[in-house]
Amino acid sequence: MIPGFHFRLMLWVGLLGCASETRSGPTTVTVSGSVLGAEGQILRRQLERFDREHRDIRVEMQPTPDAADLRHQLYVQWLNARATDPDILQVDAIWTPEFAAAGWILPLDRFAPDTAAFFPVTIEANRWQGELFALPWFVDVGMLYWRTDLFPKPPGTWEELDREARKVVADGSPRYGLVWQGARYEGLVTVFLEYLGGFGGRILEGGRVTVHEPPGVRALTTMRDQIRSGVVPARVLTWHEEEPRFAFQNGEAALMRNWPYAVAPMQDSASSRVAGRFAVAPMPAGAGGRHTAAFGGAQLAINGFTPEAGAAWQVIDYLTSPEQMLERARVVGQFPTRTAVFDDPALAQALPIPPARARQIVEAAVPRPVTPVYTQLSEILQIQLHRALSRQAEPAAALSRAASEMQALLDRVGLGRGGVAVR
Amino acid sequence: MPSVEPRGAERREARLAYGMVAPAVATILLIALFPLTWTVWESLHLHDLRMPWLGQPFVGLENYVEVLRERRFWGAMAHTAWFAAASVSLELVLGCVLALAMNRTFRGRALVRASILIPWAIPTVVAALVWRFMFEGLEGWLTDDLGAWLPVILADTWKETPFVALLLLAGLQGIDPALYEAARIDGASPWRQFRYVTLPLLAPAILVALIFRTMNAFRVFDLIYVLTGGGPGTATEPIALYTFNSLMHNLRFGYGSALSVLVFLVTFALALGYIRLLGRGLTEGRP
Repeated sequence: MIPGFHFRLMLWVGLLGCASETRSGPTTVTVSGSVLGAEGQILRRQLERFDREHRDIRVEMQPTPDAADLRHQLYVQWLNARATDPDILQVDAIWTPEFAAAGWILPLDRFAPDTAAFFPVTIEANRWQGELFALPWFVDVGMLYWRTDLFPKPPGTWEELDREARKVVADGSPRYGLVWQGARYEGLVTVFLEYLGGFGGRILEGGRVTVHEPPGVRALTTMRDQIRSGVVPARVLTWHEEEPRFAFQNGEAALMRNWPYAVAPMQDSASSRVAGRFAVAPMPAGAGGRHTAAFGGAQLAINGFTPEAGAAWQVIDYLTSPEQMLERARVVGQFPTRTAVFDDPALAQALPIPPARARQIVEAAVPRPVTPVYTQLSEILQIQLHRALSRQAEPAAALSRAASEMQALLDRVGLGRGGVAVR
Repeated sequence: MPSVEPRGAERREARLAYGMVAPAVATILLIALFPLTWTVWESLHLHDLRMPWLGQPFVGLENYVEVLRERRFWGAMAHTAWFAAASVSLELVLGCVLALAMNRTFRGRALVRASILIPWAIPTVVAALVWRFMFEGLEGWLTDDLGAWLPVILADTWKETPFVALLLLAGLQGIDPALYEAARIDGASPWRQFRYVTLPLLAPAILVALIFRTMNAFRVFDLIYVLTGGGPGTATEPIALYTFNSLMHNLRFGYGSALSVLVFLVTFALALGYIRLLGRGLTEGRP
């Protein structure tokens, strides 16, 4: 792979994107996001419907890579070059503060969005310095998948999980107790966040790093000890989302931490050995904490350089309406961000799991630190978590090192303890 | 005889010559010097694409100071040096053995020579993926900070030895068979023949192989990017991967440029050292 080539290629793609812009007749609004598979099809269908209902606005789809990292790079290059297209961006929650602080996306308060209708966590994650910069589109949360034929009920605490899983592993069937995303990437941080919340800790409080405090050390020690005792196989340290799903789907793991996307493929009895034999529950909690789910999912934001902000808002308003959310839940199993949709009996038919269960997990969701330098903080944390889990460092030492590097970064860019310097 | 003053015609000719060389010189300046100067200039600024509110102020050598204070940078340098030393020495020894074997006449020699090149012909990313799948099946290697080096060095050796072997084979074929005949008549054992005939005459080829392989090993990127991603933690992260992460992942152009300049300086120093060595080797290697 040639990094320079990649960069230039994307730059060209971006330039071509700008050049193809034409203005005649109705206002054109471009939407960029996932265009692959069922997700792309449903977006296309919804946008066509919008087109028919709005004669004065034409909507176009602008494909972007599905890999989060690549899409992020592309967005940064476009926005840094002040490109006016795409008008609407599908963003990860962790990018919202970064783009907002850079002035790359518009504050949405001027359109008076009905923020009270959404789950508070989804709004909180998209605020930067008191203003809302993106509207939550669908929620992704970390959940515990458990085998209904192996356990009478899901484990509620880590001790219970360890005890139950050890029994299962001792019998050798299935091979693994619990599996999760342990490779050195963003997924590892989301898993850690759930253990951390379970012990009552936080990564960041205001501008102060708190990840190395006792709850953090307890959380990381629990993860490390689970690998040591064989409850979690050491090979998870190279696993992303799909490897744990395959292990669980093939009946090789008793428990799995994963996102909601895994439900649908594992209920297909043609390819899944556990179809009809699993359920989902909130992640376990430890002492002094509560059940926690890492909050992910997609938000819609308006390009800060677009001349068509009003039209773009109309499209966002349409895509995040209850009916469209319900359709997304039915077609791709994505959880709605509006609380009222969970009261709609139609959701029970639409979602592959009971809506009350889904709602319980969404309500346990916590956002990752809301800061413009999140991805850099996360990289530091990923490295130290991975070092501790691969026995290169003790959990306490690894977290102390992570904390001092994270604090130094925050202080350097003016986001540290001294207050917030960004305008 | 007194020197003749250059006449008008000669001066015109000289001017024409400069004019004709100018496009080539301009091209070299444009494609070699311009990006390099740009990178150096960039490395003297704070330029963080993700934090445009910080602006792009001139910061002097601050980026370099930060690089040199960064533990991850020194780790990456050590990993790169260790990887280059381990894989290149293995490749040289194995390549030499292979070259000696291929230099003999035997049935099917052409087939062996061609098939030995297969690993080298496979794209690195594909080879790295294959090795990753093999080692992912074995518990414990990729998740161990020392163990993870095994697949990395094995894969590189497997892939690059044919290249070294081919270079050395070319060197072997340039040695006059009469020298061996003379050595045999003098009663030299095979080992002494290798030590006092083959090795000195092969020195230039060995040096060329050494230069190519060390420089490439120093810039190793794709193999490790795919095979271990630099992990576990950053235990196998080479300098090129660290630079890539700073530039393309964190979009810190100033800091990343400072890293690039430092890597350039180290590779340049290596190249200079080798060229001097090669120059000496070439003159001394001749009988």
